[in-house]
Amino acid sequence: MSEGALPKQDAVLRVDDLQKSFGGLAATDHASFAVERGTITGLIGPNGAGKSTLFNLISGFYEPDGGTVEVNETDVTGMEPYQVADHGLIRTFQTPRKLEGMTVREAMLVGPRNQPGESFVKLFAAPGTVAERESTNLAEAERILEEFEIDHLATQPATDISGGQMKLVELARAMLAEPEVLLLDEPVAGVNPTLAKKLKDQIRRLNEQGTTFLLIEHDMEFVMDLADPIVVLDQGSVLTEGSPEEVRSDDRVIDAYLGGGT
Amino acid sequence: MSLLDGARGSLTELSRPERWVLGVSAAFALFLLAALLTGALGPTYFLFLVGLAGMYALLSFGLNAQWGFTGLINFSVAAFFGIGAYGSALMTADSSPIAGGFNPLVGLVVALVVAFVLALLIGIPTLRLRADYLAIASLGLAEVVRLIVLNERWLTNGSAGLRGIPSFFQGWPVLSTFPEAMPGLRLVVIPGSPILLETSFWQSLLNVMLVLTFAGVTYLVLRRAHRSPWGRVLRTIRSDEDLARALGKNTYSFKMQSFILGSLIMALAGVFYTHLNLYVGPGDLDPITTFYAWVAVILGGSGSNRGALFGGIVIVTIREGTRFLNDVALPIDPAPLRLLLIGVVIVAVMRYRPQGILPPQRELIWPSAVDGGGTPETPDSGVREQKGGGSNE
Ligand SMILES: Nc1ncnc2c1ncn2[C@@H]1O[C@H](COP(=O)(O)OP(=O)(O)OP(=O)(O)O)[C@@H](O)[C@H]1O
Ligand SMILES: [Mg+2]
Repeated sequence: MSEGALPKQDAVLRVDDLQKSFGGLAATDHASFAVERGTITGLIGPNGAGKSTLFNLISGFYEPDGGTVEVNETDVTGMEPYQVADHGLIRTFQTPRKLEGMTVREAMLVGPRNQPGESFVKLFAAPGTVAERESTNLAEAERILEEFEIDHLATQPATDISGGQMKLVELARAMLAEPEVLLLDEPVAGVNPTLAKKLKDQIRRLNEQGTTFLLIEHDMEFVMDLADPIVVLDQGSVLTEGSPEEVRSDDRVIDAYLGGGT
Repeated sequence: MSLLDGARGSLTELSRPERWVLGVSAAFALFLLAALLTGALGPTYFLFLVGLAGMYALLSFGLNAQWGFTGLINFSVAAFFGIGAYGSALMTADSSPIAGGFNPLVGLVVALVVAFVLALLIGIPTLRLRADYLAIASLGLAEVVRLIVLNERWLTNGSAGLRGIPSFFQGWPVLSTFPEAMPGLRLVVIPGSPILLETSFWQSLLNVMLVLTFAGVTYLVLRRAHRSPWGRVLRTIRSDEDLARALGKNTYSFKMQSFILGSLIMALAGVFYTHLNLYVGPGDLDPITTFYAWVAVILGGSGSNRGALFGGIVIVTIREGTRFLNDVALPIDPAPLRLLLIGVVIVAVMRYRPQGILPPQRELIWPSAVDGGGTPETPDSGVREQKGGGSNE
C-alpha cells in the first residue's frame, strides 16, 4: 500500500485494495489509488507490473478477487463492462482493435452510447427518432474526425489504416461515447512522433473540455509532459504517486523502473 | 436483385460480382422460361421449385442473421426448421396426436412461440460464453430435437410423421376456394405442347405467394436491421466482442436478439414447408438441412442478405437440378453426386472468393452515411480476411 492514496476530494474513479491473481501470480496486489476529476493521471510501471490488468479490473472485464472500484461514487465492482461504461467510464485496449467490413466512419458510429437505433423495436416503431439521432451522431463523428485531422480516412475500410491512425480513431470513437473518465492503454505505442504530438494535443484539449484521463504509457517524455499526477505501479501494487517531478526523483521509482540516473 | 434495392442502382453502378450474379440469374430465368414454354418444365412443378427456393432463402436469412450478422455458430438450423414444421403441423393436421384442426395461423403462432422459447433456453447458458459453446450446444440440440420427434410417439406420431395437413389458406375467405374456383386454362405457346394450368397450379400459386410474402418481408426487415445502428453493434460483436463491451454495449442481449431473430426465421421456413408439402416426418430434421443452409450463407457471402438469397437459390438449383440426372445414365447415383457438386462449389468459392459471391459491404451503407463519400472504391477490400469459422479468441 502506498501513502496518500485514498483521500481525494472529487474522485471520478476510486480503486480500493484491489486484488487479482492468475494461478498464484498476484497481477494486482492490494492496489489503491484515486483519479481526481479533471486531471490527466498517468499510470506507469515496468512491463508486467499489472497496468493492463488494472484496466481490465476497473472496466469490468475481469472480476477482482478482492477490493472495490468506484466510478462517480458508485460501487461498480463486479459489474459488466457495459454497466461500467454506463457510469461514464470508457477504456481502450493496448492492442488496437479493428472492425472488419466497416468504414472508419461506421466504426466511429459504434461509439455513441444508448442510441435509439440500437433497439430492434425502435428501429421499426420509431424510425424518425432513429434517423434523427443517427444524423446528429454522424455530424458529431464528422466533427471529431475533422478535429483529429483524420477526416480523409472516413470512407476507408477500418481495417486498412495504419496502426497510428487506428490509435487516433480509437480515441476519437471513445470520445463519441462521451465518457467522464477515459482510460487509455498506451495511446502512443508505435505511433510516430508527429502523430504522437497530435494525440497529445488532442488529449490535452479534450481534458480542458472536461474529460478526465487515466493513461498508461511507457514513453516517459510523453507521460511526464502530459500527466499530473502520475501513479507508479510495480508488481501489482502502487509504489508511489505524485507530480512528474516527485516521481522522477523518487529513488524507488528509479530502482524499479526508470533505472540509472535521472 | 437490383430491383430489391430500389431503382437507384443502375447497371453501371453495379460491382462486377453483382453484374455477374445478375447476368447468371437472368440467363437462368430465361432458361426456365424456355423450359416452361416448351413444356419441358411443368408449371406446377416450377412453382413448387420457387416455393422451395423461397424456403431455402428463409433458412439462409435466418442463419445469416446469426452467423453473418453476429458470428454466432448455430448447427441446429434443422432443429428450428423442424420446430416450425412440427409446431405448425401438430396444431393443424388431422392426424395430430395432441391438438390438430386449428387454423394454420394458430399453427404459425405456436411454432414461432416454441422456437422463441427454445432459442432462449439454448441462448441463456451459452451466449455469455465464447462462441464455441453455442456451436457445441446447438449440435446437441439438433440431435435431441430429432430424437424426440422420432421417439415420442404420443407427441409427434414418431416415424410415421404427420399427414392431413391443410394448406395455409384453408378456412380463409376467398383464398381457400380460390384454386377450385379458377378455371383450368390451356395455353398454347408452342404448337403441340400446351401448358395446362389446373387446380394444382393455382394451389401452388397460393403457396408461392405465401412464401414470397414471408421471404420478402423478412428480407426487408433484415435489410433495415443490418444497416441500422442495431446491426452495426452486431457487426462489431462479430469482429471484436470486447470492443463492443468496452463501448458500453450489452453484448449478451444483442447476441440473444440476433439468435432469436434468426431462429424465428428458420421456424418460419418450417411453417411454410409444412403447408407446402402437406406432410412432415422425422426425416425433415436431418442435419443435411443445416448443412445446406451453411453452404448457402457462406457461398452468398456471410453477412449479406442478398447473398443468402442467392445462395439459397443456388442450393435449390443444385438439389433439384441433379434430379434430372436420374434420366441420364450415370456411373454414380445422383444423391452422392449432388453432395459432391456442392463440395466442389464450396472449395471453388473458398479458393477464389473466400468472402462469398456477394459480400455485405455494398448493402451496408446506412442511408445517412452515404452522403459525401459512400462506398469505398474497392468494395471488397474491407474483407481481406473473412473469418472462416470458429472464434478468434
Ligand atoms: N489473462 C491473464 N491470464 C494469466 N496471466 C495474466 C493475464 N493477464 C495478465 N496476466 C499476468 O499478469 C501480469 C501483469 O500483466 P499486465 O498485462 O497487467 O502488465 P502490464 O503492466 O500491462 O505490462 P505491459 O507494460 O507489458 O503492457 C503479467 O505477469 C501477466 O503475465
Ligand atoms: Mg499492458
